[in-house]
Amino acid sequence: MTHLSMEALLSLREAGREPGDAAAQEHLEACPACRAEHERLHQRVARLKALPALRPTRDRWPQVAARVRAERRARRLRVGGLIGLAAAASIALGVLVGRPGGQLRVGEQEISQAMARSQALERALSQYHPEDRVLDGRTAGIAQELEDRIARVDRELEVAEMLERQSRDAQLLRLWRERVGLLDALVDVHVTRASNVGL
Amino acid sequence: MNGTRVMDSYLLANAESVVARARDGDEAALEELYRAFEGPVYNLARRICRTTEDAEDVLQETFFEVCRSIGRYREEGSLWGWVRSIAASKALMRLRRNKYRDTDELQDEVMGHRREDTALRMDLEAALERLSETARAVVWLHDVEGYTHDEIAGMMSRTPSFSKSQLARAHQRLRRWLGEEVEA
Repeated sequence: MTHLSMEALLSLREAGREPGDAAAQEHLEACPACRAEHERLHQRVARLKALPALRPTRDRWPQVAARVRAERRARRLRVGGLIGLAAAASIALGVLVGRPGGQLRVGEQEISQAMARSQALERALSQYHPEDRVLDGRTAGIAQELEDRIARVDRELEVAEMLERQSRDAQLLRLWRERVGLLDALVDVHVTRASNVGL
Repeated sequence: MNGTRVMDSYLLANAESVVARARDGDEAALEELYRAFEGPVYNLARRICRTTEDAEDVLQETFFEVCRSIGRYREEGSLWGWVRSIAASKALMRLRRNKYRDTDELQDEVMGHRREDTALRMDLEAALERLSETARAVVWLHDVEGYTHDEIAGMMSRTPSFSKSQLARAHQRLRRWLGEEVEA
């Protein structure tokens, strides 16, 4: 008597039946040895499912969080640069097309100044290599909060770029100023902390 | 996949609001996701990978990916199902990268049927550990996590037949190593 192969026994456990399963099922019902094997298979799978859950011995969240922050920082620099370029291009276009004299309107001048200040602060911040520094819990929390808020401002800047000119300029100016304020605070956090510990 | 939605509410009661905050970049929410799924992700990774170091690396890679991609999670399936698919994929990538030798197959091929196998009654943990990387991954993904052969084939870039034959051979070995063989 030919008994069912392991593959055939496993196939009988699957939800969707395959050709040949009907004959295998018929054999299973008639063959005590195969029924016992099928039952052992069932028990083995149940025991596999009941194996104790293994837990990590080390907390890996700090490494994950550090990578997420580093990536955000890199993205912020990229996005900040791109938004700056886009805003600068649209202001320049406004100057070329809109005003033969080539003068920036007051709002545009202020946006350009805020952008320049934002870029200078980004450069200052990058010199401190914040991703390589260890911060105490409270300082790290403040820095994280500021970075989250800068990321939100960057998302709003991307949206503001799509607006019609009239509302866009006011919105851009407000957001660039907010970005500068937040970056200022972030630089302060890192610089103050670095001075305190003599780094 | 059955049971994964139940797992969501079991592991993370307020999943919807945590996901919404995580999408907004809230680090505390991302950490909540990590704390909720850290155990099951590590367990899956450790059952597939050979070493604890590899499993911990898979845990880290998985959550880095979760944090990066949470905005793309569409809530069509369960959150645990989504996290688990990332973890399984990272664990399988780790296997491919490490290219471990399939030790049980090597031994069987070189030495023929190991006569001591029937006398050697291992416990299930040890027997599972002794399976080849690929076989153990298929056993775990199919029998414990409930993936279909089609899904496993997709994750491994192989055919469903490959997954089926790996599973059958793995069960033959487990049966032998666990001393469950019965003379017909």
